[in-house]
Amino acid sequence: MTDLRHYDVIVSPAITEKATMASDNNQVVFNVAKKATKPEIKAAIEALFGVKVKAVNTLLRKGKVKRFRGIKGRQSDVKKAIVTLAEGQTLDVSTGL
Amino acid sequence: MQVTETLAEGLKREIKVVVPAQEMEQKLNERLADAKNKVRLNGFRPGKVPMSHLKKMYGKSFMADLVNEIIRDKPGAILTERGERSATQPEIKMTEDEAEANEILDAKKDFEFSLAYEVIPAIELKGDSKLTVTREVVDIPDEEVEEQVLRIAENAKTYETKKGKAADGDRVTIDYLGKIDGEPFDGGKDDDAELVIGSKRFIPGFEEQLVGVKAGDEKTITVSFPDDYPAANLAGKEATFDIKVKDVAAAAELTIDDELAKKLGLESADKLREVVRGQIESQYGQMTRQKVKRQILDQLDELYQFDTPETLVDAEFNNIWTQITRDLEQSGKSFEDEDTTEEAAREEYRKLAERRVRLGLVLSEIGEKAGVKVADEEMQRALYEQVRQFPGQERQIMEYFQKTPGAAASLRAPIFEEKVIDHLLSEADVTDKTVSKEELMAEDEDETGSKAEASEKKPAKKKAAKKDETVAADEGEKKPAKKKAAKKDDAEEA
Repeated sequence: MTDLRHYDVIVSPAITEKATMASDNNQVVFNVAKKATKPEIKAAIEALFGVKVKAVNTLLRKGKVKRFRGIKGRQSDVKKAIVTLAEGQTLDVSTGL
Repeated sequence: MQVTETLAEGLKREIKVVVPAQEMEQKLNERLADAKNKVRLNGFRPGKVPMSHLKKMYGKSFMADLVNEIIRDKPGAILTERGERSATQPEIKMTEDEAEANEILDAKKDFEFSLAYEVIPAIELKGDSKLTVTREVVDIPDEEVEEQVLRIAENAKTYETKKGKAADGDRVTIDYLGKIDGEPFDGGKDDDAELVIGSKRFIPGFEEQLVGVKAGDEKTITVSFPDDYPAANLAGKEATFDIKVKDVAAAAELTIDDELAKKLGLESADKLREVVRGQIESQYGQMTRQKVKRQILDQLDELYQFDTPETLVDAEFNNIWTQITRDLEQSGKSFEDEDTTEEAAREEYRKLAERRVRLGLVLSEIGEKAGVKVADEEMQRALYEQVRQFPGQERQIMEYFQKTPGAAASLRAPIFEEKVIDHLLSEADVTDKTVSKEELMAEDEDETGSKAEASEKKPAKKKAAKKDETVAADEGEKKPAKKKAAKKDDAEEA
């Protein structure tokens, strides 16, 4: 039984053009919880997908302020993790968990 | 794609079709490539979606489309290739196991399905064997024309005011007021009513008591309404009528002259006779045509003997059968009352259904070969005729025919059939034979007796046939069959 907390760390895989390109470099992109740290992400990926992670890079995309009919709103911030897998490891995010 | 015949028994065919998985996948990829530049997915610019992702998103639904398309198009193509025509829509069987179906959709398994159908036998037209038809023409005797003219004259009788008492056959003009127990009742009052004594238009006893009245007379008569009088409140009651006689007129003598003709809108008496003769002729003409038609159909029936597709016969038989049973139910009879058993009746109707189907196929084949076409204006005319039968709801009827393609076909069928008969008639050896009116009628009855064992069943059959015309609408192929059958029965009945 894997630790349930791992599921709180990983939100979803990011399926975009850029993520597809990253897969050429043996990297996988995930949306992760804003509070998640790199070690937590590494532990979660290794536990959930059973792969070896070489490195984790994260970025925090700040939400923009948007106005709709004069009312201000703010998009939520998104943290992404670009996970580099160890040599020879593969991970197909599209099959889901 | 592999096509293998698994069954060929009589007219029945079963065909197994296998589409290999690779072929399916290849077709799927073609479609995906086609869709690639059109789809918009979040996270990708148009046209930049990787194939694998596209396949994951749309692969299944595209594959389902593909399967549907194959099932829709292939049977027709296969049949054309084999040079066969199916009597009905081919029955398609494919796997019902969901797991297997999923594998097919994932292009991991060959797609297999089987077609089951009955072929329409190839009909070889026997062009050289000529049909021989005896056309019976009735010579209309002058007396009959005269009789008919007299009848018309009767209706157009004129009356002249006369002095003196009214007699039987005279026309009186009266005001009357009817009372029951001294109270006037509804509908019991009229002014200037014209009544011909002896015409029996009024309740019994009323007219008789008017014999002998004179213009200006006032009279009270007592009559009782018959027990079966339609208005329940009056039936069986005794009523008195206060009558004021205004006029008494005697019928003018019946003469057939130019004046009478003019009254009827024609120039002269000769012209009138001509018109009447024309009417009678067309009446007999119809009868003659029906007889001729049946001769043709009978000969075709003998000429063309082949196996008929079971499914068509079944459908036709079921039509007849439901009609018959419903008729019997309605009239509260059983087969025993009709001097027959259910099995015997079934067999008989089965034969009838088979004959109808067979003749229908033959007629449609002949018509096709001869290039018989139904022109648009003929369709229009038939449509208007149909519409006229439903006064008040013309709009709906029109709409119905425009929106339901099958309905138009049901109009087209009888016209097509008539034209085919015309065509056959033009090629047949026709001998004209003059017969008397009695002969024309009498012979028909004989044949009716021999044709169908139980002639009292005919009406039922005819109705069944009539009904077919509407039912037939949805199966274009067998249309002429049914229509024709209906006509045939008409003829037998006549």
